[in-house]
Formats: sequence, C-alpha cells, structure tokens
Amino acid sequence: MSILSEDSPGKKMLFMGNEAIARGAIEAGVQVCAAYPGNPSSEIIGSLSQVAGELGFYVEWSVNEKVALEVATAASFAGLRGLTAMKQNGLNVASDFLFNLNLSGSKGGLVVVVCDDPSALSSTNEEDSRPYAKMCDLPLLEPSSVQEAMEMTRWAFDLSEALGLPCLIRSVTRLSHARGNAELGRLPKNRPSPHFDTSCPIIPQPVMVTHKTLHDKMKKCQDRFEDSAFNLYRGPERPELLVVTCGVGWMYTLEALANMGVEDRTGILKLGTTWPLPESFLIQHLKKANRILFVEEVDPFLENNIKAFCAERAAELGVKIFLGKASGILPDIGEINPDVITGALQTLLRVSYEPRPLQYAQEATEAVSLFAPIRELGFCAGCPHRATYWSLKNALTMDGRDGVVLGDIGCYTLGVRPAGFAQVKTCHAMGSGAGLANGFGQLERFGLDQPVLTVCGDSTFYHAAIPALVNARYNRSNFLMLILDNSATAMTGFQPHPGTGRTAMNDEAPAVDVEALCKALGARVQVKDPFDVQDTTETVYELLQDREGIKVLILKQECALVRAKRQKVLHKVRVDQEQCIGQACGCNRRCTRIFKCPGLAWDPATGKAQIDDAICTGCGVCADICPQSAILKETL
Amino acid sequence: MKLENRGLQALESRVIRKDLCTSCGACLSLCPYLQFWRGRLVKLDDCDLVEGRCFAHCPRTQVRLEAIHQEVFGQKYFNVEIGLFKQIKIVRASSPDLREKGQTSGVVSALMQFALREGFIHGAVLTHRTPDHLPRGRVIRSHDQILSCAGSSYVAGPTLQALNQGPWEDTERIGVVGTPCQVLAMRKMRLSPLKRNALTERVTLIVGLFCTWTLTYQPFMSYLKTRVNGARIRKMDITPPPERLLKVITGDDRIWDVPVDEIRPFIRKTCGICLDMTSELSDLSVGTVEGVQGWNTVMTRSDLGEEILSLAEAAGIVESQPLPEENFKHLKEASLLKKRRALLTLKERGELEDGYITLSHGLIERILSEAKEAGS
Repeated sequence: MSILSEDSPGKKMLFMGNEAIARGAIEAGVQVCAAYPGNPSSEIIGSLSQVAGELGFYVEWSVNEKVALEVATAASFAGLRGLTAMKQNGLNVASDFLFNLNLSGSKGGLVVVVCDDPSALSSTNEEDSRPYAKMCDLPLLEPSSVQEAMEMTRWAFDLSEALGLPCLIRSVTRLSHARGNAELGRLPKNRPSPHFDTSCPIIPQPVMVTHKTLHDKMKKCQDRFEDSAFNLYRGPERPELLVVTCGVGWMYTLEALANMGVEDRTGILKLGTTWPLPESFLIQHLKKANRILFVEEVDPFLENNIKAFCAERAAELGVKIFLGKASGILPDIGEINPDVITGALQTLLRVSYEPRPLQYAQEATEAVSLFAPIRELGFCAGCPHRATYWSLKNALTMDGRDGVVLGDIGCYTLGVRPAGFAQVKTCHAMGSGAGLANGFGQLERFGLDQPVLTVCGDSTFYHAAIPALVNARYNRSNFLMLILDNSATAMTGFQPHPGTGRTAMNDEAPAVDVEALCKALGARVQVKDPFDVQDTTETVYELLQDREGIKVLILKQECALVRAKRQKVLHKVRVDQEQCIGQACGCNRRCTRIFKCPGLAWDPATGKAQIDDAICTGCGVCADICPQSAILKETL
Repeated sequence: MKLENRGLQALESRVIRKDLCTSCGACLSLCPYLQFWRGRLVKLDDCDLVEGRCFAHCPRTQVRLEAIHQEVFGQKYFNVEIGLFKQIKIVRASSPDLREKGQTSGVVSALMQFALREGFIHGAVLTHRTPDHLPRGRVIRSHDQILSCAGSSYVAGPTLQALNQGPWEDTERIGVVGTPCQVLAMRKMRLSPLKRNALTERVTLIVGLFCTWTLTYQPFMSYLKTRVNGARIRKMDITPPPERLLKVITGDDRIWDVPVDEIRPFIRKTCGICLDMTSELSDLSVGTVEGVQGWNTVMTRSDLGEEILSLAEAAGIVESQPLPEENFKHLKEASLLKKRRALLTLKERGELEDGYITLSHGLIERILSEAKEAGS
C-alpha cells in the first residue's frame, strides 16, 4: 500500500518532498491532477497516479504544461480542486494561460506547483520561477521542509478557494528529492460534484476591472499571510545579523549557525509566504537588526523585494545594510548549501570556523581519482540513441556538407556531448529544434549550403514540435526531422505519453500515430530501426539529398531500460577473442574507443574487447560495427 | 620525442584535406574509419595509431620511386620518359566479338581471359561501373565475367577495395587491372612492412592502364546531368584527338557531344601531381594509340608481362603490329609533359623533396630538361 493512501491521521511517515506535496493535495481533496513530466517535479503526478484509482480522483500526463494547467483549471472552474506540477521550464510554457487566469480568477482550489532546478542538475537552464508570482499577482508559498511541503499544499487549496486565485508553490530539487518525516492528516471523505455555472462566464474581461480586482485579492492575500504559521522568527531579540531566508535556505542556515555556535548572535527570519510580502510581520522583525543577510536559491527575489519594501518604509526601519547576492557575499548562481552560508557568516560575524581541514576537499578528490575514472555523461548500454547518433554522424560525414543538427530536450540532448559523438549543435526549449530548423530551412535563399536537421524525441514531438512542423509545411521550409521514438518519456522516468497506448492511470489509450500525423502534414516520412545502422545511415543520407520540403525519419526502438523491465536481452552477444584484433591497424578499438557502449569493456591485459554481460541488453549494434566480425550475436 | 604520425592522422592532413586522394581504394576495407562514398573518400572517425596501412599503401604519401623501381624490376630507374619496357607494339584482340564489346581493341579483356585460362592467375580484380557511373572494383574468377568490366571510365574509382575485400582462397594467384596510381599503390602494399597477410604476395599480374587524368565524380556528374537536361546517362566515351569530344549517350539513345575542354575543370587536383602516364610499375601497360582506331599500345615491362603477351600472340588470342615511330615519339612527349607539369606543381607546393614523391635531384633535373627538349 502506498503511503499516499495511508489512512492513519497523526502518524509520522517518511516522505520524499514530492510525495509530501502529493499527499497534501490528496488530504485537501484534489480531484483532478495533470502535468507534463519534468525533473525535479515528476514524482508528484507520478506518485498521485499510483493511488488515483484507489482514492477515486483523476490523474493524467498531459501533452504539455499549458494543457496540464488548463486541465486542472477546468476542475477548478467546475468547483473541484485541481493540481498541476511542473519544472521551471514548464511554467514558461503554461504562463500564457496563467497570465489570463490571474485576471479571470478561479473557483475550486487550484494549486500550481513549480519545482525549480538550481544548478541545472537535470535541466538545460537555471531559472528562478518566483518572479512569475509577482508578475501575475499570484500568491506564492515556499516550503522549507517535507512536513511543510505537505501542510502548505493542503493550505494552498484553501487559500486559492478563499481568494479565487490559483496559488503557486515553489519547490527546489533539494526539497522535492529529499526525504523527511511528515505527519499524516485526514483523508477527505466527501468530494463535491462538478458543475459550471453558465450564468457566470469566467473571463479576464473587462480587464480594467479584473486587474483591479486582482490587486484587491492580493491585498486580502497579504492580510492572510501576516499571521501565517509558515513565517517565523528565531533568535535573540537584538541580533548582530538578521538572516532572511526561505525554502531550503532555512535548514541550511540552521545547520550553519549550529555548527558555528553563533545562534545567540544571529536571528533568522524564515518566510514561507514569499509573495505578496507579509509587510507588518516584516516591519516587526526587520527592526531587530541593521545588517540583513538574504539566503535564497537562485535569484535575489526576497532580497530585491524586501530592499524595495525597506526603501518605502525607511522612515520606520531606518538605514539598513543589505548583504546577499548583490553585495557579492553569496553566489548569484547555483544551489546554496550550509558551507556557502558558513563562508558568508564567517566574514560577517568575524568567526573563524573550519568545518574540515582546508586541504580535505583536494585530498579527497585526489584519493578518489586513484580508483574512480573520469566519467562522461553517457547513454545506457543498448540505448537506441547511441545507434541513432552513430548513423547520423556517419551520414553527415558521408554527405560532407557540414550539416547542422538542431537538438531538443530529452535523453538525446546528450548528443551535444561525446556520448552522441557531439553531433548536436543547439539545445534550448521543448520543440525548439524543430522551430530553429524552420528558420534554418529558409536560409538557403541567402546562400546557406549546409543541410538542416533536427532531432526530437517522441514525447517532445507531441509536446511542442507539431506546431513547428505545421509552420514548416505552410512556409515551405526545408529540413530533415529525426523523431527518436523510444516509446517513453525516458529522461524523466519512463512516463507514458500519447504514443504509448497507456494513460497515467494505466488505462489503455489510443496511441497517437506520429507517422500518420507527419504524413497528414505533408512531410515525406520514413520509419526505420535505429539498430540497423547501415540502413539508417543510408536513409539519412538519401533524405539529406532531398532539398525540397520537410522530411521526417522516425527511428523506432524502445528505450533499453523500458524493455529491460519486461524482457531479457535481445541477443546473446560475445566477443570471439581469436578474431578480435584490439588496437591493431584495421580496428584500433572501434567498439570501445569510438562507439563506447558501456556494455563493451576493454581488457588491457589481453588487448581484446569483452562484453559486460551484467549490463549488455543485447541490441547487437556492436556486432555490426566490428570490422573483424569478432563480435557475435546470437538471436535468443 | 614525439613520433611522426604515419597513420590516419597523417593521411588526413597530408592527403585527404589537401584533396590529393586518388580514390585508388588501397586503404579501403582495411580500416573501419575510411569509406568510399559517391566518388569521395570519407573519414568517419579519428584513429590515433602512429602507423597505419592507410598511410603506407597510399600512392600520395611518400614514394621512393627509385627504390621501388629497383625492388620491382631489379634495375635502376633510367628510362625517364615512359619507364622500363621490353617491347612496345600495337595490339588488338583477335576475336571480333571482344573488339566489339571491349574498349578500343579488346586487348585487356583478351589478355585477362588468357591469363585466367592458362592458370597464370586464378582470379582478377577489374573495374566495373554501377548504373550511376561510379567505378567499383569487382572480383572475377571466370572468363565470361570479364566483359562485364570492359570499357573506360573517366572518373576514378576504388578498384583496390575489391582486392582488399576479396574474399580470396589462400593459394589463389590474383591479377589486377588498374590505373597508374593503383599500380603504384599495389607496389607500395607489397613493400610495406605493415602487411598482415600474404595477399599482396599473391598479386601476380598487374596490368596497368595509360592515364592522363580522371574527373571528380560528384561535380562532374551533376554538371553532365544539367548538360543533358536531366536525362538518364547510359554511356559515355571520349573520342581521340583531334576531335576530343565526350560523347554522352542518354536513355533515349540521343548522343550529346561535350567538348573535353568543357569538362577539364572537373579534373582531379591529385592528377596534377601525378608523374606516371603509362603505369610504369606494371607488368604490362595498355593505352590508346593516337590516330590508329581499334588498336592499343601495349608495353611489356616484366618477364611475366612479356611471357603472357608472347604466349597470347602465339595462341592467336591477340594480334600485333609495330608501333609507328611517330606514335612512339608522341607517347614519350606526352608522358614527359605530364611528368614535367607534375614536377613543377610539386615544386610550387614545396613537396618535391619531402612530400609525396621522392626522386633524386639528378633524376628531377633529367626529367625537366628532357621534357623541355621534347616540348620544343
């Protein structure tokens, strides 16, 4: 049984941050949850989907974040509670709707969770989503612990309903993916029935009226925030330094202060409701110290807003010294951690504190380097993307016109790195490869003589590439799109998508046919197996010679990890040690030096290649690239 | 000290990037990183080996011509005009059928058939053309397959890839028909210390063709395609001087005349540094004779070449006549002119001493001065 459906109020259980958010939504009686997967947010909807059937609510993986927000909003408009969750990039996609929804307002509790990825651990960008709350005039909550994640989510639905506004919750990787204890609340008993009151249209017009109403709602929101239990002060009445923090900064600061033994000299003002600012609460505590240090990930959101507030209220607050990202005492990029905060506090409090000997990090690195080789980010053993990029590399080399490959978002983004033979030259937002290809495809008229290609995953195709293909057809652009169809949203955890024939709740679904769709858009479409590298290479080459219109090559082969869950290896692969010539002229380790599937191992003792049976998935591609036919594959 | 690379890295920087690849095919099917694609040698991946067969076999990496000559013929290189030869005459196939189906006189087809029949060789590597006019090497083991490879090609193709690829039986003796650069590559293959099997030892008979230049496949073919209004090109042939027309026959049996001067821009850059018009390192060389229709010039160079021609004549497979003195003179002039041009180009590129070809200073001077006299 899942902890999400555990019916034991008061019991403390270990939750991942994202599970706590999900549990909070369940306790709040959420009925519709929709999202597009994106790390670090994916487990919210992922875990909700596991218990949706049992608890009787609806969960879907939507085609993209904007649709997901719209699906959840529909529930709200019909008087139910709705939730959507996304990563920072997702909020950009959903924002167009959000910037109208703020004016129209919502009905049933509507919560938008956005999980930011400071330091871009699994993202193409680093982005602080919080300014959206300010831009849209929407309430923003930032949990600091797993317990708070659960409580805040629960409360966010009430707040949303009371204000008639969607409520934003902002998490970050180190909260979403951390685990901690949280105390269970009650599971909901009764849920309302949906109904849309057609006598009251929900529209942003007349804008001059709704915009004013929005500001009034935010004023009400601010009043509610003034006495929120999510905001607190801890420390002496007259601290030498006041740390203003939110989110993960709270725990980090507590740890740093405790380690340094300076709790009696430093105050911490912890905010859980970060927009609109709880002004009276702030006035009360900002008075305590003249030096204020802001600790937050990533942008100086609190820092700038509170500075502006202090300027406005300078008569009451007096002159303050502001420390943080602008002063340079804390980094203005990336994740923070207790060490970073310790560094700043040492300077500000003139305390010398050495958590560990200075040389420790260097010595540790040196010690590890004796055993652990430098590892490039790579594709899994048997990953179809490696085979695809292999063929793409060869086709482009054979073509010889310096073709440009425009990348997109997914595991195959690694095509920019050695894992994908560095074939991919751009990578931005979902679907941007296809969009850029549209533009490049128009530059031939000015003399661009390089063929234009784009790679796009199946899930990314549905998410954002289809409008770009429509545009290409309409405006007669000219490029080759490779759809790397591995039948999964692999990078975020194998979530199903419109092509997989399954829904988030594991019901059967009609698969949306990419091939038929592309054909209907007037593209020249071919479907190939990327494991047949010769055929794929020649097909890519041939399609590149066609300089008219859009060409789509669908490379269909299931994600190796998805297949491995279901089925044993495809082939039994072995290296004939007699035939393998290793480093000699005629091979020079083509399999382990160039192709580099981790299922292949080089044995320096014998000077021969070997198969790592533990991870080989038996795709057999290496057998086709071995120039000596020393790698043998037997069909099982 | 860093070892000087004599592998793929060197081949890439000194041959491929300088557009000097002859497309002979000597490096192909030996190495997974090199591929021949639509008339072009393509390097697929980097190889960091310090020494490689690709570089060792290449006719455009360093060639110690005098040393090779000494090794092949056991004699010094002294005939700077057209190389060492025993006999020179004009020859044609006796069979009218072969003359009809083969190029010019059918002599190459006749001699290869004869060499196979008499057991001088068990198999041969010849060049045939794909429907899109790309020359490809083909392994031939029977008499009647030979005609599938008859006819000239004006673009270079990787004939020697078929030699490397085989497959060959361990004891088979092999005959190869090739252009001067291919003949040179085969001699380098034989002398290379990097060979890993005895294949090159079994290349018994090398028939070399005369060659003045070849064309770069892709631009030439796309030019020709526009020239014939996109029609399917079925066959092409260059008529001898003074006409010098490329006759292109399209699918609708229409004949298009393209003056040779029009296609000169497509001559491969690498042909400009070639010193060898008459396949001087072959066992037997075959070329056209100006003004004599239906006959070929044949030069026997090695004992084997001499033996095969004599036996073939005796068996009535081919018939011969003396080469007219005027033609002999023209041949030498033309050959010397090619050498002189190549030497001057090499000199200009600063590659004469340490580049692709290595000749003694004395020999260079002789070629340049004799070519000057012949030209005047």
